[in-house]
Amino acid sequence: MQQKKALVVCPGRGTYNKNELGYLQRWHSDKGPLLAQIDAYRESCSQPTISELDAADKYSMSKHTRGDNASALVYACAYADFLSIDLSKFEVQAITGNSLGWYVALGCASALSEQNALHVINTMGTFMHQHLQGGQIIYPLVDQEWREIAGRKEMIQQVLAQVNQQADCALYISINLGGFVVFAGNDAALKALTSLLPIEQERFPMRLFNHSAFHSPLLQSISEMGRDILPSSIFQQAPVPMIDGRGHIWQPLSTDVRALWDYTLGEQVVETYDFSKAIQVAVKEFAPDQIIILGPGTTLGGAVAQSLIAINWQGLSCKQDFIRRQQSAEPLILSMGMEEQRALVVSN
Amino acid sequence: MDRAEVVHLNFLEKLSTNDLPKRLSTVSLAQSGLSKSKLMEIFESQILSRQLDRTSRKMQARGEGFYTIGSSGHEGNAAISAAFRVDDMAFLHYRDAAFFIQRSKLLSGQTPTWDMLLSFSASADDPISGGRHKVLGSKALFIPPQTSTIASHLPKAVGAAYSIGLSRRHRPDNMQMRHDSVVLASFGDASANHSTSQGAFNSACWSAYQNIPMPLVFICEDNGIGISTKTPGGWIEAGFSQRPALNYMRCNGLDILDTYKVAREAEYQVRKHRKPIFLHMNCVRLYGHAGSDVQTAYISRQEVEAAEANDPLLHSANIVISEGILTADEVLNLYQKIGERVERVAIEAALRPKLVSAAQVMAAIIPPKLAPMKKCGIEDAQREKLFASDWKALQKPAHTARLISWAITDLMAEHQNIILAGEDIGPKGGVYNVTGKVHARFVSDRVINTLLDEQSILGLAIGLAHNGFLPIPEIQFLAYLHNADDQLRGEAATLSFFSDGQYTNPMIIRIAGLGYQKGFGGHFHNDNSIAVLRDIPGLIIACPSNGADAVLMLRECVRLALEEQRIIVIIEPIALYMTRDLHAAEDGLWLAQYPHPQPATDPGEAGGISLGQIGQYQQGTDLAIVSYGNGYYLSRQAEKILADTHNINIRVIDLRWLAPINEELLLSAVNECENILVVDECRETGSQSEALISLFAQKAEHRGKKPKLASITALDSFIPLGKAATVTLPSCDSIVAAALALLNSSDREL
Repeated sequence: MQQKKALVVCPGRGTYNKNELGYLQRWHSDKGPLLAQIDAYRESCSQPTISELDAADKYSMSKHTRGDNASALVYACAYADFLSIDLSKFEVQAITGNSLGWYVALGCASALSEQNALHVINTMGTFMHQHLQGGQIIYPLVDQEWREIAGRKEMIQQVLAQVNQQADCALYISINLGGFVVFAGNDAALKALTSLLPIEQERFPMRLFNHSAFHSPLLQSISEMGRDILPSSIFQQAPVPMIDGRGHIWQPLSTDVRALWDYTLGEQVVETYDFSKAIQVAVKEFAPDQIIILGPGTTLGGAVAQSLIAINWQGLSCKQDFIRRQQSAEPLILSMGMEEQRALVVSN
Repeated sequence: MDRAEVVHLNFLEKLSTNDLPKRLSTVSLAQSGLSKSKLMEIFESQILSRQLDRTSRKMQARGEGFYTIGSSGHEGNAAISAAFRVDDMAFLHYRDAAFFIQRSKLLSGQTPTWDMLLSFSASADDPISGGRHKVLGSKALFIPPQTSTIASHLPKAVGAAYSIGLSRRHRPDNMQMRHDSVVLASFGDASANHSTSQGAFNSACWSAYQNIPMPLVFICEDNGIGISTKTPGGWIEAGFSQRPALNYMRCNGLDILDTYKVAREAEYQVRKHRKPIFLHMNCVRLYGHAGSDVQTAYISRQEVEAAEANDPLLHSANIVISEGILTADEVLNLYQKIGERVERVAIEAALRPKLVSAAQVMAAIIPPKLAPMKKCGIEDAQREKLFASDWKALQKPAHTARLISWAITDLMAEHQNIILAGEDIGPKGGVYNVTGKVHARFVSDRVINTLLDEQSILGLAIGLAHNGFLPIPEIQFLAYLHNADDQLRGEAATLSFFSDGQYTNPMIIRIAGLGYQKGFGGHFHNDNSIAVLRDIPGLIIACPSNGADAVLMLRECVRLALEEQRIIVIIEPIALYMTRDLHAAEDGLWLAQYPHPQPATDPGEAGGISLGQIGQYQQGTDLAIVSYGNGYYLSRQAEKILADTHNINIRVIDLRWLAPINEELLLSAVNECENILVVDECRETGSQSEALISLFAQKAEHRGKKPKLASITALDSFIPLGKAATVTLPSCDSIVAAALALLNSSDREL
């Protein structure tokens, strides 16, 4: 059987939710040594092990979504998923990710060794938790059919400017997340933003629990701490191309590892993360047969699809087109967080 | 076998057997200044460029691609690209895909593979031309698109380089390049022989020779042949190594370490000293000129094979292997992986939508409109200071030349972006003193006395516009436009079209022209054909017949350029510049009071003249004379005779704007008249009258019937000297006679 060319997408921090409790137990009981290694690392940091978190009786918002816990948990699930991809069916052409998913991508692509990827993710996640500043708010740019709402982007820019005119307010675009925009700001700015944005779909604007003002200058100190503690020498050229949060392609043989370190702990932390652009660049430059979204969670599929709809990729123009495509014999996206689709990715 | 396939197999075989060509330079990696990763990045750009060339041919064979002139053999230019910044504006040779790809790596989020494949397949999604042409271009990468086939992009590169120095002193509102940017312009060795490129080299040297900043790198990619004609050995070096104020540098484009080292030195020199550099890069041409070209029809097989043996990819492979970065197998793997990737992307790109309607194709001819400009009128107190000794004269009627001069003064005071450029327009004030005193009122770098080369003048204007200035170049005489017509027709007018409206070069070209100069004559100073302008899509042509109109139309031209990014040619009838009287000596009827610039003369408001707005004298219904320029002036004389002597009541229409014609307005102005006479001072063939008669014949109606039509034009002759200068042109008498003849042939009783 001919291998399909796959783009692998790594999930972000908010993807291990109530439904994902037990994910590692459910899907990765075969990866004992890996999980043991991660647990050992966590213990050495005096942090709850991921096995413990995954095996908890109850999902706890305060516990499972904490930066120092969620980061390692998401990494463990996603990386274990990556290792589960059936390489007789798929050839990984390129790897990208959303937000924390960039660190995961570095690990999957081997730009960081397993151990170093864990170290980077856990370190940065712990910093984020210890120095929680501000937060994130998510808001839609598309309607329920995933078509762009006319004038919405302009309105977003106006509101952004309006909030930033207020004293003590600092608001930024944190992530371009397909059909959604994620804001990052301090508490005053987020409060002002919430009062200015019209309510959409009865739940937006939505504050993301336990999230800091990721991908904004408010995290400058986190970036500096990361640079101080995580040396560039732990980074290496990856054997597979990676696409970062600017849509920049890191090719295996021409990657300047110092520049990769610099981006990962610098610009990536304090500037907008353009996930939509990363997906669009990936499909345009690699034309994958398949997009595989690693688990945990199922929420990133929408953002990927919306990013594709925005460029009318393979004729996709709305949510219905996407659903039809997914229901066809050749679905474009396989999400490993969804049991049925996962089965198409892993070896039987 | 197809030579592209030969070169491909050659690459595979030589890598497999480790039979790589010898290094052509002794420059080491350390000496080149490249890191290993940067060297690999350049090599990857070269391979991608090559694989795109190969795929373009396959796409053509599949009926999915439409352009196969490639970059194979020229890939060394990727190393030049790597030495410069992304905001160093680059006007590229059509063989510069590797340069383009390498530059795209300076800016995140670029998709050069996808973009170029869309371009090959003429997809409407092609981000630079929207499917209109296969061009190398990108707004984000500071690469304005051009076909560059005849090196006609070099004059504007000179202009763009000049604009950088100028922007330090007069910052344009919409400045595109930084003060320390430089400009790159690449071309082939054969194109270096074009008179256009020679003019550009000369202009750059002429400027630099007198220490005018000219941060410009000419990149001559010398593959030794132009289609089938060989460049004489050593010709380029002999021709360019001794030019005044031009720093000649040479690199071996087959060796990326040498090329990068020299390019980096060139970059340092040009950015620091802002003197032009001629960077001579030798290379080879693989696969012949284009897809259909069989090289062996004009050069020997040995020569073809010698070029193929010097494939720059083999040389680069040798470098990365000898530097211990990759093994031969790894090079092959990289080459094949990139090739597979390009093929896969090509399949997707070929599915993207194409242009299907004329409306889609033409949508970018006229650039997108910008926001209305702010009115920031100049206070009279300030104007008084500016006009100085002319201030009192402003209150009195004046002739057209002076009125234009005043209008330019006011416009330049209000819009700091405006730059005048032309021959003798400085202290002399132009041949007809139209720019008299303007030079004294503004600093000399806003009123540029150029060298005598119309291509350079228009190139300067285009280049200035690329950096946010509003140029008002002057062509001294209409006949002199013709040696530079391509700068307008092939370059300026096509920029929006080839860039899908992303790049624009608004400007107002003032041209003194047309016949009727008293006691003078001669074709070159009285040229009376504008056919060469009339067929340029999107071009606005203005032709004021009198001073007041000239002022108001100039103001509208500036608005059109600033708000609508349009290119306008304004033809100023020389014979009317100093004309004072209409019917009799000292009647002063062709003088006008200078219209105050604020506020009543804004276009669309009372007193302004907006694009397409016609002028009308009298309301007579017996006959409508439709004319412009000198023809309108003579028709006004004829009108009096027809009224006074023949009791015929007519109306005289002044078109004012020759392109585009506002058909609706014009038809409504003549629809009360049974007879229409077109008076056209230009030569009959290709004249405005042809279009007008056609329009009236098809669309004019008078009380449900077709009006009677006649025209009087200049004869298809060149203008002679002396008293015979006007014998081939319409005159007042001939207009009267034509009017009477038309009316006599109708049912009307006189």
